Amino acid sequence: MSYLVCVLLFGLMVGSVGVAWNPSPYFAAMGLVMVSGVGCGVLICFGGSFLPLVFFLIYLGGMMVVFAFSAALSAEPYPYGWGNRSVKMYVAAYVLGVGCAWKVLLGKWSGFWGGILDESGELLVLRGDMMGVAAMHDVAGWMLVLGGLGLLLTLFVVLELVRGVSRGGLRTV
Amino acid sequence: MNPYLLIVLLTSLGLGTALTLSSTHWLLAWLGLEVGTLAILPLMAQRHHPRATEAATKYFIVQATAAATLLFAAFNNAWLQGHSDIQHMSHPLFTSMITLALLLKLGLAPMHTWMPQVIQGVSLNTGLIVSTWQKIAPFILLLQIKQIHPPLLTIIGLASILIGGWGGLNQTQLRKILAYSSIAHLGWILLILQHSTALATYALLIYIFMTSATFITLKKCKATTINMLTTTWTKAPTITLVAPLMLLSLGGLPPLSGFAPKWFILQELTQLNFIPHASIAAMAALLSLSYYLRLSYSITLSLSPNNLPECLQWRVNYPISTPLSSALPAALALTLFLLPLTPSALTLII
Repeated sequence: MSYLVCVLLFGLMVGSVGVAWNPSPYFAAMGLVMVSGVGCGVLICFGGSFLPLVFFLIYLGGMMVVFAFSAALSAEPYPYGWGNRSVKMYVAAYVLGVGCAWKVLLGKWSGFWGGILDESGELLVLRGDMMGVAAMHDVAGWMLVLGGLGLLLTLFVVLELVRGVSRGGLRTV
Repeated sequence: MNPYLLIVLLTSLGLGTALTLSSTHWLLAWLGLEVGTLAILPLMAQRHHPRATEAATKYFIVQATAAATLLFAAFNNAWLQGHSDIQHMSHPLFTSMITLALLLKLGLAPMHTWMPQVIQGVSLNTGLIVSTWQKIAPFILLLQIKQIHPPLLTIIGLASILIGGWGGLNQTQLRKILAYSSIAHLGWILLILQHSTALATYALLIYIFMTSATFITLKKCKATTINMLTTTWTKAPTITLVAPLMLLSLGGLPPLSGFAPKWFILQELTQLNFIPHASIAAMAALLSLSYYLRLSYSITLSLSPNNLPECLQWRVNYPISTPLSSALPAALALTLFLLPLTPSALTLII
């Protein structure tokens, strides 16, 4: 078991180094995938059931997605937003179409929310990690919001540091 | 820089320090430190020339290392102790580790080598922020940690004063001189930290006023080397008059405000019978004073040769106005005239 942890931690190191050590950052996303997988494995070896899945989710769905899109955005010489002349018409047409479909197909508001699980109010196993996450949200919810603000700031900082078509960190020339 | 981004970054700088100052949990303190580190990086790399980029990279790596060490030690301590309170840390190893991390963030010897390079690589305004604002948050965390191993603080404090003095002796670049002066002043602050937190806070406050005044003065004169200081008399005669007083205040001479912290620190050390510490600190302050005197000599005490049109710049370009100009009178007044007000100033802190 400890050998497995050692192997997984080695994989964590290799993946982390792979994120930073590459000529093109688009390949770094593969390093992030590897790190998320083996990191999930390490946490499972230490007894978690909920936290490893959260780790996977945050790495792949949070970190890698933001990494990939910021790498693409900073290398874009002429990024087209929604307000751009050639895009505005399409945006307007799309919104109009969605509004018409809404009115026609979903005329009434049925109140059906599709309950996922029956609320039995009873958990078979109280896992420390799940209860810990719940307690953390309860007690330190606002600190998590501050953490989110910090991460948003990190995104702005990275985009500002790397942008610049020919003199930025990521060059498209 | 995009004005929206500038506002976001400056607000986040303030927010980071405010978070750290208002935290009792190590996670929030770390969060504040990280936000402060990140927010200043684009300000440092604003000019996009290689030296600025290099300075930003070095600053980030150093601060990230310190923050990682801080987080590691804080959570280890929390695991052993059961709670993550800043003010009730008890494990000696992790207390020392956190102290070293915070001292690396402050740029104290022997972890000072990044300071001159980083401050040299950035513009004068950003160097001002790095030298003054970024020192507040780690200092407040240091104040709150009890039971730091006393020899650690003493040795690092004395080493910083000595290295701040000796390192600045051979410099001609003003930003490097100010970096070494920052190291020396923080060494004085660290020396008294374990004995009197009020004096340490007062010393930091006076240091911030003095360094702000110096950076703003240099920005007004557009001077980054000692040679560029020699034409100050042509650009701003008033600054030529006041600048030596400001530099001697940095050096800690009476009757200027910079004397007060040094005086009280030496008094406290002698009362506690730390005679060797007080002697070494007082003598090492002379090393710093010698390069402040060199700067005063270049600004005021000698008139460098110049051609006639350049001697009258002050008639043409008056007043020189930079964005921080309006803060200069306040900073100068606080740098020069605070000594008689020391008793009432100290009551604000004790």
